[in-house]
Amino acid sequence: MTPLARATRVIDLPRAGSGERRRAPAWLAVLARRKITLAGLVLVAVIVVVGALAPVIAGDPTTMDVAARLTRPGQAHWFGTDDVGRDVYSRVVHGARLSLIVGAAVVLLSFAGGITGGVLAGYYPALDNPIMRVMDGLMAFPAIVLAIALMASLGPSVVNVIVAIGVVYSPRVARVVRGSVLVLKETVYVEAARALGASDGSVMVRHILPNCLSPVIVQGSFVFAAAVLTEAALSFLGVGVPPYVPSWGNILSEGRLYLQQAPWLVLYPGAAIMLTILGLNLFGDGLRDLLDPKIRGLQTERQRAS
Amino acid sequence: MIPVALVVATVAFVLIHLAPGDPASIIAGPDASADDVKKIERQLGLDQPLPVQLVHWYGRLAQGDLGHSIFLRKPVTEAIVDRVEPTLLLTVFATLISVVIGVPAGVLSARHRNSVADQAFMALALVGISIPNFLLGLLFVLVFGVWLGWFPVAGYSPLEDGLVKTARSLVMPALALGLVQSALIARIARSSMLDVLQEPFIVAGRAKGLGERVVVYKHALRNALIPTITIIGISFAILISGAVVVETVFNIPGLGRLIVSAVLRRDYPVIQGVVLCVAAVYMLANLAVDLSYLVIDPRVKYR
Repeated sequence: MTPLARATRVIDLPRAGSGERRRAPAWLAVLARRKITLAGLVLVAVIVVVGALAPVIAGDPTTMDVAARLTRPGQAHWFGTDDVGRDVYSRVVHGARLSLIVGAAVVLLSFAGGITGGVLAGYYPALDNPIMRVMDGLMAFPAIVLAIALMASLGPSVVNVIVAIGVVYSPRVARVVRGSVLVLKETVYVEAARALGASDGSVMVRHILPNCLSPVIVQGSFVFAAAVLTEAALSFLGVGVPPYVPSWGNILSEGRLYLQQAPWLVLYPGAAIMLTILGLNLFGDGLRDLLDPKIRGLQTERQRAS
Repeated sequence: MIPVALVVATVAFVLIHLAPGDPASIIAGPDASADDVKKIERQLGLDQPLPVQLVHWYGRLAQGDLGHSIFLRKPVTEAIVDRVEPTLLLTVFATLISVVIGVPAGVLSARHRNSVADQAFMALALVGISIPNFLLGLLFVLVFGVWLGWFPVAGYSPLEDGLVKTARSLVMPALALGLVQSALIARIARSSMLDVLQEPFIVAGRAKGLGERVVVYKHALRNALIPTITIIGISFAILISGAVVVETVFNIPGLGRLIVSAVLRRDYPVIQGVVLCVAAVYMLANLAVDLSYLVIDPRVKYR
């Protein structure tokens, strides 16, 4: 390690360390104070556990039993059966797993695309215009319409659903990132790092990136929710994951055809979607209150008023 | 606006080339003969080099020509015009519902902050933003269509058959779309109202003895409307894409059904046309929002 690089490292360390230490208790304090955020976290945790344990707590979601088609919910089938006699409970539980996989993968993909694009656009003025115009162009399409169109080209599969929704949400992440990078670029510590000889790459990755993450993390919970919703909508329309894959949207799509005979085909996956999105929204709101200092001020002000 | 429009046009162009493999044979389907593939290739101009295709594409778009549908056997613009009425009516209807419910709910919540009504509104709004519009639509069909029989379960009655019939056929889809959106509008209206109510000029107004009504509705509301107008414009844009999904629930023959059936038949010119058309409406809605600031907010001046 060169002396200069070591010097930047020394400057860098205490900042990261003290930030960590100050943040940890605030987390717990906010969770304890805001029961509603805790409720969101619990909802999300339950869905995660259900999704993770899907093969253990539910049977095979693809076994058909045509003799038992459209059976009412009861002892044998807790949530009833669908039009080819598949167990709706198994399909809903495995659907949770699919929704979580799609949500997490879309968050990763849109973060990878959005953060890369946003940091480059914010850091290099020459790249700002080309990158952001493309992002603006992608954002000029309504999310679901662009996702439908991309699915038309990519063809129905789980991976393609992830790619399509990831492409749709990357520009939204990029916009947030670019905004904070533009501010961070002018800070004294970035100037200091540069004066000490840090390369562009290390300034971007080690100094700018960690500091622009908190608004992005807040976005993450909302992108996750949007991804779950969009997947459900795409599958409901018949252009998402293939029909044999257990997905909440697919169950709803069948349910629409048997609304009169088998309302449980709509009610159970519908409730699953609602609880998931509700949990993510509650948790996301709490996260935003925690990470956004402006709103945090409002919050304490509100508490004083009440 | 213009660079964005160029990118939008390019993205729509790229759609047809994103598919793995040769687009013409994908469109023709697995059982097509080599002749059919050639025919489609020629019809769509896919036999020319990419840059040439792109320039042709821009040229045609500039003339308002979206090409020919492969399956409907008519120009794409005609197919879109045939289907645009229900989608537009549904979107406008839903926007009205969302504003009429959302703005007053948000303003009242902010004015009576932490009251029972505020908490009830906000709890409802939270549930509202967690329900996807197509799910709410399905639940409406189940409750009001199937169980209670108050409204037609599905279908659309065009304007020429009478306004009342059209309205009746759109009540449930518009409510499904509008209620979900009103939850979002109420949340934004409430928080922007709360922000404004903390401003010094509100304190000054109260200090000089203005009534609470004048403070809230004359001074605060006007300022709080600025972010709210933004969200109404965005709502229109969100709702037109929501309409695309909800149409499937209610079997309404609008743009949404058009694009979904085009996807299932791999009718790319129609997909591209609908995507461009919806994006254009979306961009115009956003432009309208920007221009409306000129009227509402005297501080904003565009040069």
